[in-house]
Amino acid sequence: MTAATPTEAPEPRGAAARRLFRLAARHPGVVPVGAVVLAVLIGAAIIAAAGLDPITAYSAVLQGALEPDSLDYTFSVWGFTCGMALAAAIPLRMGEFNLGGNGQLVLGGLAATVVAGALPGPLAVPLAVLAAAVLAAAFGAVSAPLATRFKIPIIISTLLLSPIAVAVVSFLVRFPLAEAGSGVAQTARLPEDARMWSIGDLSYSNVGLLILVAMMAVFWIVDSRTAVGFELRVVGANRRFGAYGGVVVGRLALGAMAAAGAAAGIVGAVIVLSSPYRLIDGALLSPGYTFAGFAAALLAGGRPLLIPVTSVLFAVLQVGGAAMERTADVPRQLSDLLQGVVIIVLALRTVLDAGRTGRSEH
Amino acid sequence: MTDAAAELRGISKRFDAVVANDGVDLVLRRGTIHAVMGENGAGKSTLMSILFGLLRPDSGQILVGGVERHFRGPLDAIAAGLGMVHQHFRLFDSMTVAENVVYGAEPRRRGRLDRTAAAERVRELSDRYGLDTDPDSVVGTLSAGARQRVEILKALHRDAEILILDEPTAVLTPVEVDSLFAVLRRAADEGATVVLVTHKIHEVLAISDEVTVLRDARVTGRFRTAEATGSALVQSMTGREVTEVANAGTGEPGDEALQVTGLTVVDRGVHRVRDVSFTVRRGEIVGVAGVSGNGQREVVAAILGTGSAESGEIRLLGRDVASLDVRRRRAIGLAVVPEDRRGEGMAVTMTTAENLALGHHRTAPIGASRGWRRGWLSLRAQRDMARRLIADYDVRTSGERQPVGALSGGNAQKVVIARELSHRAPVLIAEQPTQGVDIGAIESIHQRLLDYRRDGGAVLLVSHEIAELQALADRVLVMFAGRIVAEYSRADATTARIGAAMAGTGESSRSEGGAS
Ligand SMILES: Nc1ncnc2c1ncn2[C@@H]1O[C@H](COP(=O)(O)OP(=O)(O)OP(=O)(O)O)[C@@H](O)[C@H]1O
Ligand SMILES: [Mg+2]
Repeated sequence: MTAATPTEAPEPRGAAARRLFRLAARHPGVVPVGAVVLAVLIGAAIIAAAGLDPITAYSAVLQGALEPDSLDYTFSVWGFTCGMALAAAIPLRMGEFNLGGNGQLVLGGLAATVVAGALPGPLAVPLAVLAAAVLAAAFGAVSAPLATRFKIPIIISTLLLSPIAVAVVSFLVRFPLAEAGSGVAQTARLPEDARMWSIGDLSYSNVGLLILVAMMAVFWIVDSRTAVGFELRVVGANRRFGAYGGVVVGRLALGAMAAAGAAAGIVGAVIVLSSPYRLIDGALLSPGYTFAGFAAALLAGGRPLLIPVTSVLFAVLQVGGAAMERTADVPRQLSDLLQGVVIIVLALRTVLDAGRTGRSEH
Repeated sequence: MTDAAAELRGISKRFDAVVANDGVDLVLRRGTIHAVMGENGAGKSTLMSILFGLLRPDSGQILVGGVERHFRGPLDAIAAGLGMVHQHFRLFDSMTVAENVVYGAEPRRRGRLDRTAAAERVRELSDRYGLDTDPDSVVGTLSAGARQRVEILKALHRDAEILILDEPTAVLTPVEVDSLFAVLRRAADEGATVVLVTHKIHEVLAISDEVTVLRDARVTGRFRTAEATGSALVQSMTGREVTEVANAGTGEPGDEALQVTGLTVVDRGVHRVRDVSFTVRRGEIVGVAGVSGNGQREVVAAILGTGSAESGEIRLLGRDVASLDVRRRRAIGLAVVPEDRRGEGMAVTMTTAENLALGHHRTAPIGASRGWRRGWLSLRAQRDMARRLIADYDVRTSGERQPVGALSGGNAQKVVIARELSHRAPVLIAEQPTQGVDIGAIESIHQRLLDYRRDGGAVLLVSHEIAELQALADRVLVMFAGRIVAEYSRADATTARIGAAMAGTGESSRSEGGAS
């Protein structure tokens, strides 16, 4: 038996403070906030290592995103991030990871483009949004029976199916649907009445954004006030408990994946129905809303009320990153890096939780 | 006291508003077995966790071998010679016994795990303490009792001189309990010190040398077992007498509510259940005895619908349930208290109210809000129901919003019982319904099961405790190796007969009717 050196001093000084700290450290908010702080610090270290001033860089981010002129744009980016966060959060609530946001997003964009282009008239916008939701929902939902019947985990099937959808849409935009005579891989501009209604004279934020905000509200109500939302949380907390209690887990997964797909699809629709009013190959994916939304959902732990908050963070990074590149000479990839760090820290938490020795059975 | 292997002095611990330990003193004398008893939520597990470094006391001292220690975590405690056998085992199912035992403290040769030495070490320890464990068997294939022996080996391998066992017998059958106690006695004779938390008086009287009783976070009694009586212990624990209840056998059973015919369950090529048939009628409690792992779980899972059946027929209130999912089966009239409380019976991170609500959340809340519509939750009804059940079942909690995971084990069990019984389903399956609950709660749960029977409920009671089956059941079925090998009426269900049948050595007797 190797004896540990017994520590003397019965109650070391500052013990009370330490106890308070330990108490605070158990608060559920600590890890997410810690992840963000850590990401910011790591980012600062990298900027400093490159011989630049982190303070300047970060203030450029904030200024770039929050100055009055860019608020309109930041707000729209925030909406898209929220929408994609929803696509991740709904399945996350039941413990499933939807990594197929990209595929669902572009299919939504495709459906909206086709429908809005084919059926101009007063109903073009609602029908386009509806079509986007339906097609993307169907695509997302495919993963549920694959999991229930063929035991392919949702995280895998969404990851593998998504690039296929992206490739198909890319093909369609390049060839059958391409605008005649244009050198760019893009569809023709949508007619006037197939464009998303605007709000006042804002140029980026439009009614589509309000649709996304409404979706967040619906998710919140469903999550906290309905039987389905309750079942989603129960299954997320303990899948076997849910199954034992009579939750039809397969059907729930189908619903969750369809809803997630619909959310992503609507984001796609809103993007193509906004300026420049067309589907451009790659344009839906290049801003990285899927990944930012996923990170925001993870950071919020899927909780509906936190998603708008965490999405602010990523929207600011996204918009401010470009400004930082311009004024502080720091490449915008830094914002991707920060997102990555946040996710890694959150993932580490999961690993640590699993390995930690908790209470024994009492 | 010079012979104290470990000593706790004035230990206090609180969780927010709840005081779990309040100035607790505990002296563990070297070479003795010390039992710790007390009602659910009295603070036993908290005290054990503090001793093992899992929790830190708010105040008080921990002395090991006369030296004061400040454990920063269980690793410090292990280094100081403590070992804890956890109730839900922390073992790797796919690895062998030897690999599990040495994990984290491996004998190495040229930097790699020395398997021969590991197996040798396990064999040596097993022989020394009479543990009867094969180092090469894969843990996933072992029974609960055998897994527990692996946990004990793990502690002994790390040279634990003080062994802490928190409710080790809750999941064991009587035979397994006996062999566990033999091992503990042997360890104590070899100079180890054992602390044992249990709710069972007869176990305390049989195995321990000294007893400390906790009540409401304080010590209310210290006894030398030789001088203690069961009623003195109960009195000290509860402050009152507890009267045992029993099935008076009155009343005639009614219609057949649950009929199982020719049930066979095959799991990955292994026959878990073979051609099992039985019925449970309204107003009847049918007991199922058996060492765990002889097919009881699979039978229950097949009835509930969470497990699959190879062949056979299950009828609930006359309806064939083959094509129905769990929700529909429950809707017809089935409630289940599962054996695996933490794994299946609750969601530890959710609140007590939410845990109580599952299964009730799609039905109209009783006498509640006019505005309720199908598919919506009534949070008020959820809260009201939770408060009512918490009061009715005497669940010790700081409120219905407390996460179930923060309740003591016995109180969590009461939550599961409360939820399932409150369905008032015609058919109730209760697996180990009194696991982890204190003596007072055992009697009150027994009384509720008897009331269920009286009110026309059909109860299938699966239990390791022969005494529990004898007290409650109208008939007792015994399962062994996936079959029902014996069936006894109330009058014939003697401990000797049931025990022999459980071990697979009773003469096959299924005299009574009721089957197929
Ligand atoms: N992590 C925690 N957070 C909040 N309260 C806790 C926590 N752990 C224990 N408690 C509370 O402390 C009290 C003592 O709990 P403990 O688990 O020690 O009881 P116990 O004597 O082991 O009971 P049982 O016989 O039911 O296992 C209980 O009221 C319990 O709810
Ligand atoms: Mg306990």
